[in-house]
Amino acid sequence: MQRAWSRAATLCAALIVAFASPASAQEGTWALTNARIETVTHGVIERGTIVIRDGLIVAVAADAAVPADARVVDLTGRTVFPGIIDLTSSLGVADAAPPAGGRGAAAAAAPAGGPSAQSTERRFVGLEPERLVADELKPTEADISAARGVGITAVLTAPSRGAFRGRSALVPLRDSVGAREVIRSPVALHMGYQGTGGGFGGGGRAQYPGTLLGVIAYERQHFYDARRQAMLEDRYKISPRGTPRPPNDEALDALIPVVKGEMPVFFAAGNENEIRRALGIAHEFGIQMDIVGATEGFRALDALQAAKRPVIVSVDYPRAPDVTGWAYRSAQRLPPNDSARADSIGAAQLQGNAAALMRAGVKFALASGGRTADFLPNVRKAIAAGLPRDSALADLTIRPAEIAGVAEQLGSIETGKAADLVITDGDLLGDSAKVKMVFVDGIRYAVEPPPPPQAAGGGRGRFGRGGPGRGGAAPEMAQVAGTWDLTVQGSEGPTEATATLTQNGATFSGNMNSHLGSSDFTGGTIDGRHVTWSHSLVINGQSMTASWSGDIDGTHISGTVAAGEMGSFPFTGEKKP
Amino acid sequence: MKAGPRDCLTAGGGNITTVLALVALVGLGQAVKPSSSLAQAAPAPSPFAMPVPAAAHLLAITNATIMTASHGTIQRGTVIIRDGRIAEVGQNLQVPAGAQVIDGTGKYVIPGIIDAHSHTAIEAVNEGTKSVTAEVRIEDALRQDPISLYRELAGGVTSALVLHGSANTIGGQSITIKLRYGLPVDSMIFQGAPPGIKFALGENVRQTNVTVPAGQQRRFPYTRMGVEETLRDAFTRASEYRAKWTQYRADSTAWTHNRARTRGLEPLPPARDLELDPLVEVMEGKRQVHAHSYRSDEILMLMGVAHDFGFHVNDFTHVLEGYRVADELLASGSTASTFADMWAYKFEAYYATPYNAAILNERGVVVSVNSDSDERARRLYQEAAKGIHYGGMSEDDALKMITLNPARQLGISEHTGSIDVGKDADIAIFNGHPFAPSSRVEMTLIDGRVFFDRSTAPTLEYRMQQLRQRRPAAARAASGGVE
Repeated sequence: MQRAWSRAATLCAALIVAFASPASAQEGTWALTNARIETVTHGVIERGTIVIRDGLIVAVAADAAVPADARVVDLTGRTVFPGIIDLTSSLGVADAAPPAGGRGAAAAAAPAGGPSAQSTERRFVGLEPERLVADELKPTEADISAARGVGITAVLTAPSRGAFRGRSALVPLRDSVGAREVIRSPVALHMGYQGTGGGFGGGGRAQYPGTLLGVIAYERQHFYDARRQAMLEDRYKISPRGTPRPPNDEALDALIPVVKGEMPVFFAAGNENEIRRALGIAHEFGIQMDIVGATEGFRALDALQAAKRPVIVSVDYPRAPDVTGWAYRSAQRLPPNDSARADSIGAAQLQGNAAALMRAGVKFALASGGRTADFLPNVRKAIAAGLPRDSALADLTIRPAEIAGVAEQLGSIETGKAADLVITDGDLLGDSAKVKMVFVDGIRYAVEPPPPPQAAGGGRGRFGRGGPGRGGAAPEMAQVAGTWDLTVQGSEGPTEATATLTQNGATFSGNMNSHLGSSDFTGGTIDGRHVTWSHSLVINGQSMTASWSGDIDGTHISGTVAAGEMGSFPFTGEKKP
Repeated sequence: MKAGPRDCLTAGGGNITTVLALVALVGLGQAVKPSSSLAQAAPAPSPFAMPVPAAAHLLAITNATIMTASHGTIQRGTVIIRDGRIAEVGQNLQVPAGAQVIDGTGKYVIPGIIDAHSHTAIEAVNEGTKSVTAEVRIEDALRQDPISLYRELAGGVTSALVLHGSANTIGGQSITIKLRYGLPVDSMIFQGAPPGIKFALGENVRQTNVTVPAGQQRRFPYTRMGVEETLRDAFTRASEYRAKWTQYRADSTAWTHNRARTRGLEPLPPARDLELDPLVEVMEGKRQVHAHSYRSDEILMLMGVAHDFGFHVNDFTHVLEGYRVADELLASGSTASTFADMWAYKFEAYYATPYNAAILNERGVVVSVNSDSDERARRLYQEAAKGIHYGGMSEDDALKMITLNPARQLGISEHTGSIDVGKDADIAIFNGHPFAPSSRVEMTLIDGRVFFDRSTAPTLEYRMQQLRQRRPAAARAASGGVE
């Protein structure tokens, strides 16, 4: 019965979409009538009206009067939700330069924060607390409408790598968004653990801090320096006569509100130890810190509880090899049938992260982790793993609004708040939801249908792969044969490797060559654009298996390589012409 | 090993989930501070969880050959462990009522092995971007879950000095750990161990073998002259920094006691410098220097620098030419931590001899053999045995090289390093003489808790045994009892 209804809804949706004009944006006064309204903060109105004027909600009630000048949208059978606010976005910001060495060497050779010699355009390396994202927003309309199609109406955008990444902006997902439209800026200083690369053979090519060790020391030193800068400035303010003038240092000036507890730090930390290390820094300097990511938050509940700060929980679940304790687990050599069972228990535990945090009384928002297309499917997994549906809805709307400091303006359907609304067929968090229409600041946007699931692949619906504009046709098979130059971003800097591959249908074999030695392998697989292969290598006298997994786009490949207990690392590569 | 001890110590034949559940019930050991994150107890057993040993309040290892490292070998002896500490050691001891008993018949009991030079269980080894990185802390990169920790436990290792790598003249701050594998990362830290820092001399820090990309600068220093200069520069800066703080403290005290209206603004403290703080601690004798070194000339050079800046080099590690300067090492009060028979892997390691450890020991230098490798750390007892093969060390002295001597070097001999009453119950139990080639570790205890037990270890043999037991009885009978 459920299924029959869902099928009917799908058919219906397809018809409606067929007649909707794509990406048409309309402003003005609106009355959304006969809608089921989930206000989030004031319960559900089973049949009611929302009136929008000048971008704001001016009335929400079962019997709200429809103004004469309003355009009326009859939403019988539809539900209206507050727009989703995703706090883990890099929409419209150029990311930090790749680590030093190889092709990225020129960027890293420039002094921190300084202009590079070749270009007047500033090159970022992830050590720029003064960076203000609002000043450099250049989102593409395709990215915006893809996120809006999921039901997101605002994102907090910041660079996604670096130690001091810069200060974020909360951005409404309107078609053309610049500094003028930003909802709030700066929201927080974004931090993380990425250094600039470089390891044992630093040898002049790497810039400090290169590793986790250096990054934490660098961050701590800068907080000490910021405290001192604040003290110098305060003394100078009190008695400018007779006090040496403090130096102008925009990086330290950007950190002063942080060490004074006036601006929060959003610290990207996924696994247990990353979370504990970050909270250790927060504790040391009395910083207001919200952990971002926390995919293994359930392992650090005590630390998160003690911090008494909300958490921004990513639902981009880690893969097993990235999980604490995996090395022991794989060393147990479980028989394959047990192994599969263990994997599903493991997945359930990772998906139950949000539920575990809720049970522990930790406040949090749910966030996409950067993979927008998988956002709601992943939230549904969290719900299936024990997170109550109503909590999940609040964690997508009002909770992130609170964390971003805009709970007065966004996050729920209330009079006076911005008209950021998502209109669906079915429950937004249910399996068969269809986002039909989105309002951002009272502007109506039609939603284009997501690409239909790919015909191949047994109907498992890998929603995340592909991206907008692809799909429908059978996936073409990647051509891997040839020689590839690969760059692995290891924990101690980039490493070069060469792959020489021979393709045979959907499989391939070849040779891997790097400073760690040369090794032949067989059994590589190609699934559309996705390729995987593995080979053995010897590091420090220990032999281990390197498992590569990547996506090919023409002559470019990117993905991750997992090397046993050393962890997994991103890599990119180009096919030699 | 008999079934008895296994059952009582690891609670349920190695089933991880059972062990986890049991930990939740019995709580954690006395010696290890209970961690709140564990007290929370995961709601569902995780396949990624590591086994956490249950705590034994009272434990006795009976009828074993006990090599104490401090006072000889006890035949058919008993060790009684109470609340994680060694309560009694000797022959003919009465096993207290209620004690869990490990039958040590035919087994050898030695102090838990201490690895005085390790890079285990860390996510980054070298911050190789500068020649002086005293501000980085190995503790920041420590992790609790690499399988190498478990393998080291399987080699009887219970404590290790985890050092920054040798890329920099002055590397990062070290951390001494106990291999409490399975507990949260902060519970691995060896409480009460003195802080340390890694120094390095010679080829690694000169980076003569590093190819510098075109157009980029080579890192200073390039020669051993430059290494000395780097050290002197750092300590000169640290001395000035220290003087500034001394001045500030005096000014601050004077300002506080000055009640006059004209006293002005409170004195401004010097800028905190995380790079120089640990070097000041070195000069004040509060932080141990662990110096990676090979050649005798550079060993003497560092002693000279240390003398000029009023500090002391706690241990020279690798120190393959230590035999040439044994008397100088002894006179300066420095200790040595070396390899048993590794040499010639680079130029500065050419003038080496496997007799190094024995010669240093004979001259009275406190000497240990270390691993510098997660792999070698699993068989340090065999490295110690080489001290008998090369140079004819006594069995006691050879054992000390991996137990009491590293404990003394790391300043933890009050707590561990020998089987003596009052020390932590850090113990390795071997199935034969630890220096016999075929012997292997049966059980490793830290603070009286079993962190490794071969009878329940996830070895291939153990897995196969489990699989056999899982076959239905009927199937086993049908095959005529053939497994």
